[in-house]
Amino acid sequence: MRAAQHVRFAAVALLMPSLLLAAPAPGTRISFVSCPILRDTRSVPCWLSDYQSERYYLTIQSDVSAEVQPPLMGHQVLVEGVVSDAKPICGGVVLSQVHLSAMPEIDANCREELPADDRYTVDFAPRPPGPSGGRLAFTADPSGGGAGPAPRQAPTPATGPQKFDVYFDFDKGVSFRHPSALSSILNAARRGTAKRAVITGVRGAHKLSNGTLLLEAANTGQRRAEEIARLLAGAGLTLPAEVKWTSGEKDADGVDDWKSRRVTVELLP
Amino acid sequence: MTGGKRKMRRWMMVTAVAATAAGTLLAVAAAEGPASLWWSPGDDRPLPAYVEYADSFGRVGILNTAGAVITDGHPFFEPIGTNGRACVSCHQPADGMSLSVASVQERWQATGGKDPLFAMIDGANCPNLPAGDKASHSLLLSRGLFRVGLPWPPRDERGAPITPEFTIEVVRDPGKCNSGPEYGINGTRHEISVYRRPRVAANLRYVASSRFGSSAFIGKTGMLAAVDPESGRPVNMNMMADARESTLKTQAQSAARTHLQMTQPLSAAQLEQIQSFELQLYGAQSWSTLGGSLNEPDGPSGIGPQAMAKGADGVLGNNTTRFVIPMEDKWARLPPGNTPEEKARNAFRESVQRGHDAFFFRTFWIRDAMHINTVGLGNPIKRTCATCHGMHMTGMDTANGWMDVGTTNKPWALEPPESPWASETPALPLFKITCRADLPPHPFLGRVIYTQDPGRALISGKCEDVGTIVIQQFRGLAARAPYFSNGSAATLRELVDFYDRRFNIKYTEQERTDLVNFLGSL
Repeated sequence: MRAAQHVRFAAVALLMPSLLLAAPAPGTRISFVSCPILRDTRSVPCWLSDYQSERYYLTIQSDVSAEVQPPLMGHQVLVEGVVSDAKPICGGVVLSQVHLSAMPEIDANCREELPADDRYTVDFAPRPPGPSGGRLAFTADPSGGGAGPAPRQAPTPATGPQKFDVYFDFDKGVSFRHPSALSSILNAARRGTAKRAVITGVRGAHKLSNGTLLLEAANTGQRRAEEIARLLAGAGLTLPAEVKWTSGEKDADGVDDWKSRRVTVELLP
Repeated sequence: MTGGKRKMRRWMMVTAVAATAAGTLLAVAAAEGPASLWWSPGDDRPLPAYVEYADSFGRVGILNTAGAVITDGHPFFEPIGTNGRACVSCHQPADGMSLSVASVQERWQATGGKDPLFAMIDGANCPNLPAGDKASHSLLLSRGLFRVGLPWPPRDERGAPITPEFTIEVVRDPGKCNSGPEYGINGTRHEISVYRRPRVAANLRYVASSRFGSSAFIGKTGMLAAVDPESGRPVNMNMMADARESTLKTQAQSAARTHLQMTQPLSAAQLEQIQSFELQLYGAQSWSTLGGSLNEPDGPSGIGPQAMAKGADGVLGNNTTRFVIPMEDKWARLPPGNTPEEKARNAFRESVQRGHDAFFFRTFWIRDAMHINTVGLGNPIKRTCATCHGMHMTGMDTANGWMDVGTTNKPWALEPPESPWASETPALPLFKITCRADLPPHPFLGRVIYTQDPGRALISGKCEDVGTIVIQQFRGLAARAPYFSNGSAATLRELVDFYDRRFNIKYTEQERTDLVNFLGSL
């Protein structure tokens, strides 16, 4: 009898953390910083992260065309998303509208890699872990990028003000994410009638789910704005440009805070 | 060079093949001695439309699609500088248009170190070392490395100084160049000396192609791409180890000034002549000692110099529609053969096919490699060799191709053991890079990095570029050992073993053999 009671107490004790920290209801926005976890599968690996006793599915490995690109092992990852009621993937609660950003400093604690496990499969991978079938995972370019994107019709030259937002990883400057966005700005300036540009860098700020305000390094907005201005000028932007910077601190509310990590380029008449 | 190899070279067959207008190949064979293998500047003999040279796996073929070249007066072949060298000095046809360390050693023996190849400016570990002393040329003689002196701090294309994201200190300086009063980092010339292998001056239609990945901004970093000074258009930056030259012409101009010590710039006509020659030239393994003919119809469509002349440039081959090296499974399941020679040939060809499959389909974890794990794929990624070596026909990177796989950065770069029992001492310099504290660190190596060669970072000044080197082409490998930009892999087996260690691949012995046979057949 006493032994049975012990078993019951133990069972309750085991359940306690999950009772106290039950998974947020579907539709809940969450934002946290944690180590990424990689789980191998027979196909491509999937990426997960633990937060408050819950495991979340972040994304899978695909290729450069993916909207959500996997984190970096050895770095914490800043996760923003909305809890969904989709069937768990790789043992993790699925997040929709997910945005990931590797934190810049190396964290030796972030090295958890799980072996393939028959319980977890990725049968929806758009490309295998090796060569593609001739196209990128998330584009219709049949050449697999071999001949570049298909030619598009030239857009009508803009006559009014134009505004472009360029988004960044946490604390980071220009990277592989930006050639396309920078080219768009350059092309718009060349085609349009703008007489000047205003380039505003924003120091990003995040209201995390635990209430913490996570701020980028103090000079980040300035560094980004100056870098974008230098690159655009170097690539041929001839408009006079006003370069300024600000902080997104006051706007941090836990809703799409990733948008605060940005530079806004305005092309003005 | 071993006595056996010298003997092999002495008796080698040089086969010149002239291409007729109809495309039929006419073979003209002649027995030649070693003297005809080495192409001295001003030799004035014609370079045939097609010629083969013996190498460690069979024969490498050099194909001129525009026909035989009259080298008399040609700026690629004439000693147009002040030190007796020509472009051909370091881009030898017999070495697949690069330079093998075996040829370097042969030259030293044949000339007592007097060949212009050993010019002190960069054929010695440092220009101020004693001339004629073998020790002064140890890096060239042991690894085929030439000194590359680069300005520090770096300068942009307009000559303005770039503020580097890091400081650099000399930790080890066996050549005594980087710490010296003239050529040292703090010397009067403000230079950094690194030591690199000559690249292949063939198949450059692929290497210099701007059909893929060329835009105003570099695909992997978002930084400004180099532009062709003539057209103003961005280039793919895949030519040099550190991508410092934008076009064949700027490379030729720079090489004439530095390696040839030319005092006047090359003329427009000379530049055109060099560029035309380089774009008409293809080189690849054409004959395998064990596997026989590698060209079609005996071999697959992606092997052999004729295949190189026909292939499309600017194409991503990391897919099952174009492939990096098209093999069509032609050697996948061959009949056993009736004679011992046939059996051996077919067994070797099947090994080459398996080597291709290991290259193209064998997955492993690529981790902590700058400019591959940082370009949206994640770290680590489960992929194959072809993820990085993805350019159709060459195995280079289609995008701007510098990355750090660990060939020059510690902890992966080859270094002799530091121990009381070790007889070998480090040959290359070692630099300590300290990245600025107010910027994000290198994502895999942090803010303090030890490197034998900072690579692209000496041009860009970027912390993330430390140790990144532009991927080289795979062709003619058997003719031009050693491998990697610092010559740290003496053989193809050592090259495969490096990747096995670096990425913990755990290749089987069979996979290693197959990969070596595959690479040696390209």
